[in-house]
Amino acid sequence: MTSTLPAADSATTEIPVQQTRAPESAPKKPEQHDKKKHDKKKHDKRWVTVRPYVRFRSSPTDLILCTLLLAAILVVQGWNIAGYPNLSDDEGTYLAQAWAVQEGKGLAHYTYWYDHPPLGWIQIAGLTYIPSLIAPDAMTVGSMRLAMLLVSAVSAVLIYVLARRLWLPRWAAGLAMVLFGLSPLSVVLQREIFLDNIAVMWMLLAFCLAASPSRHLWHHFGAGMAAAVGVLTKETMLVILPAVLLTMWRHSHRDTRKFAVTGAITSCALIGLGYPLYALLKGELFSGPGHVSLWDGIAYQMSRPGSGFIFDAGSGSNGVLESWLYYDKVLPVGGLAAALLLLVVLRWSVTARALAGPALAVAILALVSMRPSGYLPAMYIIQALPFLSLVLAGAAASVSHAVLIRSRRRVDEPRAVTGLRWATAAVLALAALTYIVPKWYDGNRTAMTQDANGPYRAAASWMATQVSDRGDKRVLVDDAMWLDLVHAGYEPGLGAIWFYKADLDPAVSKTMPGGWRDVDYIVASPTVRRDAVDLPNVKAALEHSEAVAVFGTGEDRVEIRQIAAGSGGKR
Amino acid sequence: MWDDGESFPLWGLGGLLLSTVVISAVSMALFWMAAFTLWWQMHAWRTPETLAATRFEAPHGNDGLAFSLLLPARHEQAVLDHTIQRLLESSHAAFEIIVIVGHDDPETAAVADEAARRDRRVRVITDTHEVKNKPKALNTALPHCRGDVVGVFDAEDQVHPELLAHVDHAFRSTGADVVQGGVQLINFHSSWYSLRNCLEYFFWFRSRLHLHAQKGFIPLGGNTVFVRTDVLRDAGGWDQNCLAEDCDLGVRLSSIGKKVVVAYDSDMVTREETPGTLVSLLKQRTRWNQGFLQVYRKKDWKQLPTFGQRLLARYTLMTPFLQAFTGLIIPLNVAVALFLDVPVGVAFITFLPLITAFVTFVFEVVGLHDFGKQYALKIRLIHYIKLILGGPFYQVLLAFAAIRAVWRESRGNHEWELTSHVGAHLSPEEIRA
Repeated sequence: MTSTLPAADSATTEIPVQQTRAPESAPKKPEQHDKKKHDKKKHDKRWVTVRPYVRFRSSPTDLILCTLLLAAILVVQGWNIAGYPNLSDDEGTYLAQAWAVQEGKGLAHYTYWYDHPPLGWIQIAGLTYIPSLIAPDAMTVGSMRLAMLLVSAVSAVLIYVLARRLWLPRWAAGLAMVLFGLSPLSVVLQREIFLDNIAVMWMLLAFCLAASPSRHLWHHFGAGMAAAVGVLTKETMLVILPAVLLTMWRHSHRDTRKFAVTGAITSCALIGLGYPLYALLKGELFSGPGHVSLWDGIAYQMSRPGSGFIFDAGSGSNGVLESWLYYDKVLPVGGLAAALLLLVVLRWSVTARALAGPALAVAILALVSMRPSGYLPAMYIIQALPFLSLVLAGAAASVSHAVLIRSRRRVDEPRAVTGLRWATAAVLALAALTYIVPKWYDGNRTAMTQDANGPYRAAASWMATQVSDRGDKRVLVDDAMWLDLVHAGYEPGLGAIWFYKADLDPAVSKTMPGGWRDVDYIVASPTVRRDAVDLPNVKAALEHSEAVAVFGTGEDRVEIRQIAAGSGGKR
Repeated sequence: MWDDGESFPLWGLGGLLLSTVVISAVSMALFWMAAFTLWWQMHAWRTPETLAATRFEAPHGNDGLAFSLLLPARHEQAVLDHTIQRLLESSHAAFEIIVIVGHDDPETAAVADEAARRDRRVRVITDTHEVKNKPKALNTALPHCRGDVVGVFDAEDQVHPELLAHVDHAFRSTGADVVQGGVQLINFHSSWYSLRNCLEYFFWFRSRLHLHAQKGFIPLGGNTVFVRTDVLRDAGGWDQNCLAEDCDLGVRLSSIGKKVVVAYDSDMVTREETPGTLVSLLKQRTRWNQGFLQVYRKKDWKQLPTFGQRLLARYTLMTPFLQAFTGLIIPLNVAVALFLDVPVGVAFITFLPLITAFVTFVFEVVGLHDFGKQYALKIRLIHYIKLILGGPFYQVLLAFAAIRAVWRESRGNHEWELTSHVGAHLSPEEIRA
C-alpha cells in the first residue's frame, strides 16, 4: 500500500491536509479561528485553511427547508401553467424547433439561419422527448410548459445551494429561493418555454461549481463547461461570464488558482467554439451567396433596431420595464438597490464580499439594459432574476446581522438593548411582509386562476375540427399555435405557415406567387395583427379575408379569417 | 442531430461507413487516452489540500535513521568532488557516502579516494564488472551498506542539505518502505528541448508521481530515492539487465505491497541538468522507453491486487508508445475532418483529440509559469513561445525515441548505449540514469 505523506499529528484540531473534506458539517469556526495555532502552523506548508461550509447530504435542516420551499414553488408555478400567461410567439418558435429536432428534420423545420445557437431547443427536445413519445399530440406550447417546471425546480435548488456556498445563513438562502421562485414576475416568466430559463439553470450550475467548497480543479473546469453550455443555450449569457469568473477567483485557493481559472476559461472557450466549428464544418461560417451563415446571423442580431432608452417614457424599452414592474416591484427594484448597497459596502461587509459575483452580475445586466440604442426584449430580466434574489437575500442578511449581532467589544450589553435589537428586527421583517405579501398574493392568485389562453385553445380546436381536407389547406398562423395545427393534420412548413415566413423566407414566398390569394386561412392572433403592419402578404391576407370564427373579445381576441378567393396555390 | 446526412460522392456507402467507424473509434480512443493523461498530470493541483499534501512535512524531533548514500560515478572526475562536498554539508547526523567507481576509471577513482581521505564518512567501492552499467554498480555497493536506509544519487546532483532530515522524518512518521524525493531539471533556458524536458520533470515529480503513490503503483525515479536497506536486500537489489532499473525497482516493490511515499518541495529537490545535445536526449529517452518495455514484459506488475492498479500499470508502462501513436494520428485526423466529406457529427468527433491536446498545451503554459514562480526563475514571453512552437517537434522526438526503443528491443539489443558507444567523452548529464 502506498500513499502520499499524511499531515502532522492528525489528532489535533487543525485540518489535516489530505482530508479533502472538511471534518464536520458546517463547522462554525471562522477562517482564522485560533490565531496562536495559526501562527504555529504558518511555517508548515502542508497546512491548508479550510473554510467552513455546508454538506447538504448530512444537513437535514437544509434538506427539509429546501424541499418544502421547492414544493411550494412547484405548486405555485405548476398550477394553471397552461392557462397563464398568454402563449407567446417565442415559446411556439422554440418548441416547434424542438419538435423538428425530435422528428429528425434538422435544427429547424424551416432553414436554420443561426438566429440563436441551437443548444437551447435541443435541450427542450430532450426534455420533452419522452412525453412526446407517450402522447405525440401533447407537443404543444400549453402542455409542454410543464417541462419548464423541471428547469425551474433545478434552478431553485441551485439558488439555495449557491446561497449556502456563498455563506448566507439558512434563512437567507431560503429567502433567496422564495424570491427567485415565488415572485409573481418569476412565476409568469419561468412558466414560459424560454431559452433564457434553461440558460439561467446552466449559469447557476456554473456559479455553484465556481463556488465549490472543495475547490477542486475539475469543479472549476466544469464551471467553465456549464457556463459555455449556458451561453450556447442563450447567447446573452455572455455578459454574465465575468461574474462567474469573479466568483471563481474569490473561491479558489492562491496555490491552485492559476490552474483552476485557466482551466475554466479554456473549457468554456473550447465548448463555446464548438458552435463556430459546427458552422465551419457545414461551410456556413461566413456569408456567401445561396446559403445562410453564422456571420449573417450575428450581423442580424447586432443590427436589430433598438427599443429606446429604458427611462424614456413611451419607448419600447420603457414599456418592457413597466411590464416587469407591473408583476413585481420588490425583486427588480429591491434587488437592484441591494446590489448597489453590497457593492458600496464591499470594503466593510463580509456578506457583500461573498456576494460580489451575483452583485456584479446584477450591475452588468443593469448597465446593459440601459444602452440607449439597445434592443430590450421582455425576457431580458429572466437572466437577472437569480442574481437579484441572491443579492436581495444577502442584503437582508447583512442588515439583520448589523441589527442583531452586537459588536465584539460590547460583551456586557444591557438586556434592554438586546431587546431593542430584536424589536427593530421584528419591525423591519413585519414591515417587509406587510408590503410584499398582499401584492404577491394577488399576483400569484391571478397566475394560478386566470385562463388567458381560452381563445387560443378554442381557435386551435376549431381549426382542427371545422376545416376539411386539412392536409391541402394553407394557413398563416403564429408560432404559438403552429404545432396544434401540425398535430391536426396540416402540412408543417408550407401548409401550416409561420405567418411572417410568407414575407421573409424566400423558400416560402416563392410557393405563393399569388400572394394572399394562395392562402386559405389566416389565424389572426394579437401577435399576427401587431406584426402585419410590416408584412405585405400577411397584411393583404388580413384585408382580403373575413372572420369565420372569433374567440375572445377586444385586443386579445383570436379571429379565424378565411381568404375569400382562396385557391390553395401551387406547392 | 448534428448529422445531416450530406452526400458522399467519392465513397460507396460501405467505404464511408467503415471509414466513419474507424475514424470515430480512433478519435474516441485518443481522446480518452489524452484526457486521462491530462487528468493524472494535473493530479497535484486538483485541490489545495492535494497540493499541500505533496510537500515534505517539516521535521521535528531528532533524527532516527542512518543513511547509506550510494553515488555511482563514471568518468565524472570534474563534478564528483563538488557533489560529495555538498552531500557532506547535509545537516543529518548519521550518514555515509559510498562512491562507486569502475576499475577502469582511475581519474574518477582518484577524486573519490581523495574525498575519502579527507572525511571518514566517505567510502569508495570499486566495481569490477567487465561491462558496466548503473544497476551493476549499485548492486556492487549494496552489501557494504551499513545504514538503515539506502539512498541513491547521481554524481552531478545538487542535493539540499536539509533533504536527509526531511526524508528521515518521512520514513518515521509514515512507516514507509520507500521515499521518493523530487528531482528537477532547471536549465530551461538552454535550448528549446531543454525547456520541454524541464517541464516534463516538473509535471512528473510535482504531480504525476504522487498519483502513482496514492494508487499503489509507482515507477521510481533514478535518484533521490530512498529504500529501507532490508527491503532492498530482500528484493534482491536492482535488476542488472533492465535498462530502467529505477522504474523496475518501483514496480517490483509496489507490486508486493511495499509502502511508497513521494514528497516534493521546490526548495528541497535535487537539481539536475538536461542532456547536453539532442542526440543524447534521444538516446536517454530510447533507453527509458526500452526499459519501460522490459518492465512491462517482466510482468511483475501482474501481482498488483486490483484491476484498476494493473490497468494503470499497463497504461503507464505503455505510455511512450501510445504517445508516439497519438503524435502521428492527430494531424491525420484533423486532415480527415477538414478535407474528406464525412458527416458533421463524425467530423466533430475527429476534433476531440485536438481539444485535449489544446487543453494540455494550456496547462503546460500555466505549469511553466508556476515552475518559474516555484524556482524564482524569470520566464519570458520567448520561452512560452518556444514551449508552444516546440511542442510538435518534441512530440516527433518522443515518437522517434519510442519507435527506436521498440526496434532495439525487438532486435534483442539490451546494451547500455551510453557506456558502450560514447565512452570517455560523456558529459556528466549523459551518465545519469
